[in-house]
This record gives sequence, structure tokens and C-alpha cells, in this order.
Amino acid sequence: MSEHDETFDDDDEDFEDEVGGEGNRIVGGNAKAVVEHVTRAIAEEPDAVEVELVERRDEVALLVHADPTDMGRLIGKRGRVIQALRQVTRAAGAAEGIKVSVDVIE
Amino acid sequence: MEESTVPLERQAETATEFTVGLVEAFGAQAGVTDEIDDGAITVRIDGDDLGLLVGPKGATLNAIEELVRAVVQKETGGHGARIHVDVAGYRAKRREALAGFTRGLVEKVLETGEDQVLEPMPSPDRKVVHDTVAEIDGVETSSEGEEPRRYVVIRPA
Repeated sequence: MSEHDETFDDDDEDFEDEVGGEGNRIVGGNAKAVVEHVTRAIAEEPDAVEVELVERRDEVALLVHADPTDMGRLIGKRGRVIQALRQVTRAAGAAEGIKVSVDVIE
Repeated sequence: MEESTVPLERQAETATEFTVGLVEAFGAQAGVTDEIDDGAITVRIDGDDLGLLVGPKGATLNAIEELVRAVVQKETGGHGARIHVDVAGYRAKRREALAGFTRGLVEKVLETGEDQVLEPMPSPDRKVVHDTVAEIDGVETSSEGEEPRRYVVIRPA
């Protein structure tokens, strides 16, 4: 017997993503605040961090400008930091009912 | 692993301060506490309606944990404590559910005398399975396969 036929299903209705939440004055305000908080905490040059919010047709793009020496730190080994940041930012966007993308640029 | 010169309490403070700011930026209403146990730091985020901070299969929670680690690592230079993050007791609930599932499989093994092969899972989950089975007489476990597809087999002892 070598089949992986015993599947532990841990889906829990309580923890599903839900879109909605109360409105914000600035579209993507929370998502932008999340990106600013995280990138400034990780950067060695937090004062050089600027997060630009670009409203596109179907999403909000958050562009992180940072000191070139912080690029590697903000992306992380095998992109782990930027991927984690994208996941958390998407959730913050979902709470506001919007789609969000995050990119780090010099 | 080399111990960090940054005291555990200081690392916990950094982790908690960062998490408080993150929750605030997120717009969530939640309290953040930390606990130091056996050299590991656990940051707990508690409140109502925190499903978005957990995400599907804990994906957002895992991402928050990754970011907290990155922030503490910046301070410790990579020799920091083990850090866990939990939201609304999700990890504990999930662990209990996995232990219950495992006990069901143990009963099958004891009834049929046949091995039960679990799906591949990460190391902390495999530990829950091993620990649960270890408490029961007449069965044993082993991990087989290679990461990231390592899985547990439960068999009659």
C-alpha cells in the first residue's frame, strides 16, 4: 500500500477569505499602509522607502522604491520576503474589496 | 546553531511591535501578545473576525510569520530565536484536528493490521502525527520520501 489516500482536510469555514469590509477614503489605503510598514521595518534605509500607489483599471499597483542596497533584503532568499508581503497585502486589499499587486523597484 | 547576542526578550519585543503595526495598518481590531517558552517566541494575534489574517489553509498567517522572522532577523543577524505566529488560536485548533484525524487512522491500523499512509506534509505537522501515535500502544510511525513530499506511515508495532 503506497497510495496517499488518507487526506487530512483542514478547510475551515471560519477562516475563508472574504471580500468586503467597510469603505476607506483612499482606495488601497490599508494595503499601502501594510507595504509601508513591512518594507520600512525590513530595510536598513527606511527613510529611503517610498510606496507609490498606481490605480489601474482592475487593480491597485503598489510600487516600492527603496535604496539599491536594500533590494536583496526586501526580496529575500528565493523571493520569500516579497512573496509573503504580496500574500499579506492581497489580504489587506481583499478586506477593502480590491485587487492589489506589489513590486519592488529601485 | 549559534546563539544571538540579542536577548530573547528584546527579540520578542521587536516581533510584537512589528506585529502591532502590521495589524493596525491592516485595519484589523486585534490584541497582540508574546510568550517566550523553551527558547522560542510565540506571537499571538487575538480578536474577532480575523479570518483574513489566517487566509486559505493558513497562507496569510504563514506569510505574516515569514515577515516577522525577517524583521527579527534584521536585528539578530540571522541567529535569532525560533518564532511562531498564531492568529485566534488557529494553529492550536489545526494541531488538535490533525491529532484527532491521526487517532482515527491508528484505530484503523489496530483493527485491520494494515499500514496507513498519510499525504505529504511539512515537518511540524508530521511531528504532531508522530507524537500522537507515540502515545498509543501497538502502533509506530516512520517518515518516508524526500522533502517537500515527505510523509508519515503508521503501522502495527
